[in-house]
Amino acid sequence: MRARLSAAVLSALVLWASGAEAQAPLTAVRVAGAGPIVEPTASVWKQSRPVKVAMLPQTVTPPQKPDTAIKELTVRAVHNGGWVAFLIEWKDPTLSNRIVLDNFGDQVAVQLPLDPKGAVPSPMMGNAGGRVNIMQWRAAFQNDIEVGPPTVQGLYPNAWADVYPDELMSAADARPYTGALGLENPISRGVATAVLDQMAEGWGSMTVKPDQHALGRGTWRDGVWRVVITRPMVSDDVNAPRLLPGDRTVAGFAVWEGGNREVGARKAWAPWVPLVIGR
Amino acid sequence: MPQVYNWQLGRTMEYPYEERHPKSQFAFVFNTNRCIACQTCTMACKSTWTFGKGQEAMWWNNVETKPYGGYPQFWDIKALKLLDDAHQKAGATMGWETGKPGPSKPYGEYSGMTLFEAARQRYGPEGHQRVLGYLPTDEEWRFPNIYEDTSTAYQGGRLGISAEGASLPEHKSWFFYLQRLCNHCTYPACLAACPRKAIYKRPEDGIVLIDQERCRGYRACVEACPYKKPMYRPTTRVSEKCVACYPRIEGTDPLSEGVPMETRCMASCVGKIRMQGLVKTNPDGSWVEDRQHPLYYMVKIEKVALPLYPQFGTEPNGYYIPPRWVPRPYLRQMFGPGVDEAIDKYTAPSRELLAVMQLFRTTQKMLSRYEITQGPKVYETTVNGKPWAMYNDTVIGYDARGREAVRVTVEEPVHVRPAQYANSI
Ligand code: SF4
Ligand code: SF4
Repeated sequence: MRARLSAAVLSALVLWASGAEAQAPLTAVRVAGAGPIVEPTASVWKQSRPVKVAMLPQTVTPPQKPDTAIKELTVRAVHNGGWVAFLIEWKDPTLSNRIVLDNFGDQVAVQLPLDPKGAVPSPMMGNAGGRVNIMQWRAAFQNDIEVGPPTVQGLYPNAWADVYPDELMSAADARPYTGALGLENPISRGVATAVLDQMAEGWGSMTVKPDQHALGRGTWRDGVWRVVITRPMVSDDVNAPRLLPGDRTVAGFAVWEGGNREVGARKAWAPWVPLVIGR
Repeated sequence: MPQVYNWQLGRTMEYPYEERHPKSQFAFVFNTNRCIACQTCTMACKSTWTFGKGQEAMWWNNVETKPYGGYPQFWDIKALKLLDDAHQKAGATMGWETGKPGPSKPYGEYSGMTLFEAARQRYGPEGHQRVLGYLPTDEEWRFPNIYEDTSTAYQGGRLGISAEGASLPEHKSWFFYLQRLCNHCTYPACLAACPRKAIYKRPEDGIVLIDQERCRGYRACVEACPYKKPMYRPTTRVSEKCVACYPRIEGTDPLSEGVPMETRCMASCVGKIRMQGLVKTNPDGSWVEDRQHPLYYMVKIEKVALPLYPQFGTEPNGYYIPPRWVPRPYLRQMFGPGVDEAIDKYTAPSRELLAVMQLFRTTQKMLSRYEITQGPKVYETTVNGKPWAMYNDTVIGYDARGREAVRVTVEEPVHVRPAQYANSI
């Protein structure tokens, strides 16, 4: 088993190294305008040169899924001096934005080192002392915002229950029965945006940041997801990267094909892609 | 990978975390012979914990008819098949060396692989898992009582009726009820599989909980738990599981006068099949010798109650008195090699066991100790060709503070209703 694991690590690293050589840098070109850039169909994207990012199955830490579905992302980046934005596109024939017991949602994430000028952290969600900012867009959140939060009747049209706690008790007494929702677990609902602004220092350490600055929007049409993830280039958030025109840093990507039961560590990921913030 | 000692397997085994044991451990004994499948336990749990939106398909406690029933459907057959496939692939067999039992190996030594060990053999489409497991389909959770009262096929005889079908030691056609909840395992598979460490085992009582704020709904626990007791809630997008009625265990229920009380599913049991308590544990995970604790006595001294699928390797803390009439190979697969001894002990119970079994469901308080006062011989017979006598002993159960909680005799008192009240309600 040890031999097999190290072989897996080795192949991931070899792929990473060879991928890094072949990987064209991503340039966030300066575009006109102000404020967040969230629309996948905005005309600004025509000004950015797309970069193809090869996606690899995560095969280093369990649980793993060696047969991840998405092999490539097409990524564009722009900035308007205040906000930097990424448009990520990929082919996905199955729309997965409603989650029940045995299925999972489509997701995509952009990862940036917290300190663009310091030592580059591990591309696998950072490392102790090498903190990364991970902005993760979720199709289910997009659906919450556009269609409404999941309901039992929506997920299971024929479901029937005689009584629920909030029909018997005050809202305060019924709160324990709301589970994670009552505790405001950040993954229970997409509230203001479909993007979660998070940070990590290695596997298992992903933490939703107290300050949520990232925004975004995704559309699925003709079997293609087009997702924008955007964040302020400069903020007073100590857990956010500070990006200025002319900076050179790196960006990482991860994508989950919900229809292929990808979730958590079962994902396709890409090692660091050089990222240039245009002047 | 760390090695931990699993006394149910009589050996060390691989587990992703180092051994660290709680001060005491939530445990229970179920007498499958007495269950009437009334599902009062199931409803007691449902109406306490899981009647919120999104919990409709969730039954933290369920009672299923074996061999065909299961919630989720065929959970045990599927786990056993995965384990069997792993053994076949590795050219190994799932056996037990029963030659040299002892206090640290009461059932001998398991020579097969556990679900943790077998996981390392597999690199299939599911990829590397910490625990060999599978995620049930949505549909498999939908019929919690499917195949209720469905027996195996009748064998022999005209009209499918078998003249000798129902005689011990093995009925030719059979079913039995299996009562299930989270086993609050010593080595929880759910906890081992969670990549976020959102599952924890409480140091005070060994209760295993999913942190509802930390969980991200990956369902690694649902996939890993062989007993399939963590469940996904689609309206909150995270997983939930049995919480062992922890306010009752802590003695904070207003009814409990500050002493630990048994969980709702236990306390409500109509068939009086359930007894639950806290057993004290040593730093190495073994049970502190506690001769007069009813659970210690039944599991460790009398060995009449056995763990459910010990070969999975999680060291479950639920113990079952096996059903007497079911074919032994099936029972040995389900409860391990201790089955024959347990059934012998149960069929002709010792004077002490008979008295202890009277304590089932006589109080909601958890019992920490019992004493027996001897009474007269009231009955004599032979069981399996051997003489057997019944004594009308009195058994007294004490709560966690050492106060008398209950006092019962082996013979139930008989009240004859006077003739003039024969028809009154
Ligand atoms: S029965 Fe399952 S859910 Fe309960 S502690 Fe064991 S592995 Fe975890
Ligand atoms: S309440 Fe007791 S007798 Fe009834 S189904 Fe549950 S375990 Fe069996």
